[in-house]
Amino acid sequence: MTTGVETETDILWLGEVACHDRSLVGGKAAQLSRLAAGYRVPPGFCLTSTAFAGARSHGHVGTGIGNQPVALPPSLFDKLTAAYQTLATRTSLEAPPVAVRSSATDEDGSAASFAGQHDTYLNIAGIDAVAEAVIRCWASFSSERALAYRRQQGLSLDTVHPAVLIQHLVVADVSAVMFSANPVTGKRDEIVINATWGLGESLVSGTVTPDTYLIRKADLTVTGREIGEKQRMTVAIPEGTREVDVPRLLRRQPAIDDAQAIEMAQLARSLDEAMGFPVDVECAFSGDRLYLLQCRPVTRLPASK
Amino acid sequence: MATTQPVGHRIPVPPDFPVEWDDPSHENLFWTRERMHYPEPVKPVIESLDPEAGLNFAAETYDLPIRYHARVINTYRYTAVSPVTMDPEELAAIGERAMENVKPVLARFGEIWETEMLPEIKEHLAYWDSFDLRGATTPELLVHFDETVRRFRRLWDIHFMVGLPMLLSMSLFDDFYRDLFGNQSAFDAFRLLQGFDNKTLETDRALWQLSRKALALPAVQRILQEQAVADVVPALEQSPECAGFLAELRAYLDEYGQRCATSGGNVFDPAEPSWIENPAPVIKNLKDYITQPDRDLEAEMAKQAAERERALAETRERLRGYPQPVVGQFEALLKAAQDGVVLSENHDFWIDFRGSYRIRRVLVELGCRLAGAGAVDSPDGVFYLKFDEIRETLAAVPTPDRRELVAQRKAEMAHFRTITPPPALGTMPPGPPPDDAAGRTLIKFFGGPPQPPTEPGVLRGGPGSPGTVSGTAKIVRSLAEAAKLEPGDILIAETTAPPWTPLFATAAAVVTETGGILSHCAVVAREYGIPAVVGAAMATTMIEDGQTVEVDGDTGIVRVISPD
Repeated sequence: MTTGVETETDILWLGEVACHDRSLVGGKAAQLSRLAAGYRVPPGFCLTSTAFAGARSHGHVGTGIGNQPVALPPSLFDKLTAAYQTLATRTSLEAPPVAVRSSATDEDGSAASFAGQHDTYLNIAGIDAVAEAVIRCWASFSSERALAYRRQQGLSLDTVHPAVLIQHLVVADVSAVMFSANPVTGKRDEIVINATWGLGESLVSGTVTPDTYLIRKADLTVTGREIGEKQRMTVAIPEGTREVDVPRLLRRQPAIDDAQAIEMAQLARSLDEAMGFPVDVECAFSGDRLYLLQCRPVTRLPASK
Repeated sequence: MATTQPVGHRIPVPPDFPVEWDDPSHENLFWTRERMHYPEPVKPVIESLDPEAGLNFAAETYDLPIRYHARVINTYRYTAVSPVTMDPEELAAIGERAMENVKPVLARFGEIWETEMLPEIKEHLAYWDSFDLRGATTPELLVHFDETVRRFRRLWDIHFMVGLPMLLSMSLFDDFYRDLFGNQSAFDAFRLLQGFDNKTLETDRALWQLSRKALALPAVQRILQEQAVADVVPALEQSPECAGFLAELRAYLDEYGQRCATSGGNVFDPAEPSWIENPAPVIKNLKDYITQPDRDLEAEMAKQAAERERALAETRERLRGYPQPVVGQFEALLKAAQDGVVLSENHDFWIDFRGSYRIRRVLVELGCRLAGAGAVDSPDGVFYLKFDEIRETLAAVPTPDRRELVAQRKAEMAHFRTITPPPALGTMPPGPPPDDAAGRTLIKFFGGPPQPPTEPGVLRGGPGSPGTVSGTAKIVRSLAEAAKLEPGDILIAETTAPPWTPLFATAAAVVTETGGILSHCAVVAREYGIPAVVGAAMATTMIEDGQTVEVDGDTGIVRVISPD
């Protein structure tokens, strides 16, 4: 038995050096782990590909199409329970809501994007629901859709090492997407913030006209402010999210004030400097805490004038 | 605003209702009959009092984009609203500014009432109580009259300084709730506002408690059962066994009986005696209440609070995954609206009732002086004179004879009482009112446009209070007619002035021709847990006394089940 090794690598926390290893946790989680080491990323942990392999070797993971997921191995379930308990302590919540996402280990983002190919379970709370979501994530790696996608992308069907990311779902008061360079004009000295009420889905999917702030990168001065008519917002509901109407009274109210815009811009500028290139950042305020959710290079930036 | 171009159509004036506009620009406004507060012709004294002047004081103080106009046309009260500017953008900007002005008031609404408004109101009431009306010389009385008018107007300034944010708070909360959760029933938001005690319920509950005491005293019970309303008090006075109860009844009247409009349909009429002077409405309710010996009204009312807390817990659970600013706004509006629903009754108690009772006392004394000097036949002649006429008459030597004038005005009222006044005058508005927070508030208070009946025997109004019940219809045009209302009957009225609410413990449901979901009738019916349909146009004429009707408070539909 290789119990000792399994114990160390079945569960890795975002921010740990070991968790930066994409072969264990997948590209998405590894990247978040690196960010978590330096920024306020919602706490979370990964069930690594090692954990998956261990479970499979014990016959706990169904393979092929239509297989019903089976239970987690008892020892892994105990580790998952302990990790979720730690998350509860860290978030000061009895049953912290989490997002459970698959994060394939050959998903390196370079050529193939797995966006939408593997399951994501939002706003899951309680250990039993979390365990069930993990099993579903594992099963999704062998779903027909996922297998077809891998074939189409010329990816191996055998080398896939599914990892699962379990991360505290911050119930966002305000979500924002920021660019550390103006993606429209190409101006490198300007930060653009699009902010709206609630979770980020309405923003990312473009169903809301957000508030837009322009901020000069050099001295973080707000140079432009346009308040959008924010008609829709995404809220957390049990076991998921839902897009709902924003009450009329709040639609034309600014989602953030200037101080919050500047705090966000500071985060974008710091990431831009750390990465060495313009970044596209997803972040959220919950109360007065600003969380970093995602950071990617800005693609297709127009030439700066 | 006086120079606005007429954009809509002139409304034709019926030949039996001639209208002269002293300000020609007023013809360009859209005037509607204000039936919710004044279903009947109003006496000239009310024209002089013009309690609604305070509405424009509040509109100016909060910088609202509209101004209010009220005038008596052929003895009927009409009102109109005009925008402060014709520029739509400017209007919208003023509207937003007004909201910003009202918000700080909403944030500490209950507190402002308790610490600023109510103490001032009590100070005014104490001023009146400290004046010896009988002992004053007529010149002293006239000085007191001027001071009375000044203070009365100030009370009505306060009335609308409370009234506007009060209605807005409830309406904004309702709007916000609907935006959040959609529109399952008309009452979802209002369930979260019910079950708070207020002066109306306190008044009604105290009367109910008195009825429980009567049930425990066989002598009192017998008198209430056997005597006609007018004979009850004399009978109680003659029975030594009833002395204790009579003392309690008098204490009740002293505390809660300082209110006019006991028999008329108009909400405000200082010519009407107070309960203290004429306790008939109280006796009528006591007689009804003792026929319900096993009922526990207080427990029924307590249920409203329990239901509220349950609904609120559910709502807060639904809001758990919502952004905090949304939840915070919800809680702030909830608090303001909960204050608002209480103040919607309490301001009446202190201003409409207690204030009006005191101005009545001053006017009655003036009437006695006028009658004493031979200017009018009886003290009640004072109510048919305008303020200037009262002052001039009492100051002039020799006293001018006003009997002719009073007779003329009484005849005018009698004449127009036989005529159905047009529902609207002036100029039709070019379009529907803007669908903004203020516009929605007014519709929820006064009711929407009347809905024409779509099938025979079915009247459409608005939801006032949930539930469906059938019973015998009793058309009650004034409180004096309420005697025919028996337990289980359906009370059908043009409007129910606040002094009517003790009847809600007797009626199985209420139907009114005027008002919306925020009207007094609807608010109080929800506290009593009886169905109400409000704003059912023509209900008092289409439904006949004694017919069996079904009232569906959820849909706002009244159905005549049996024709007789």
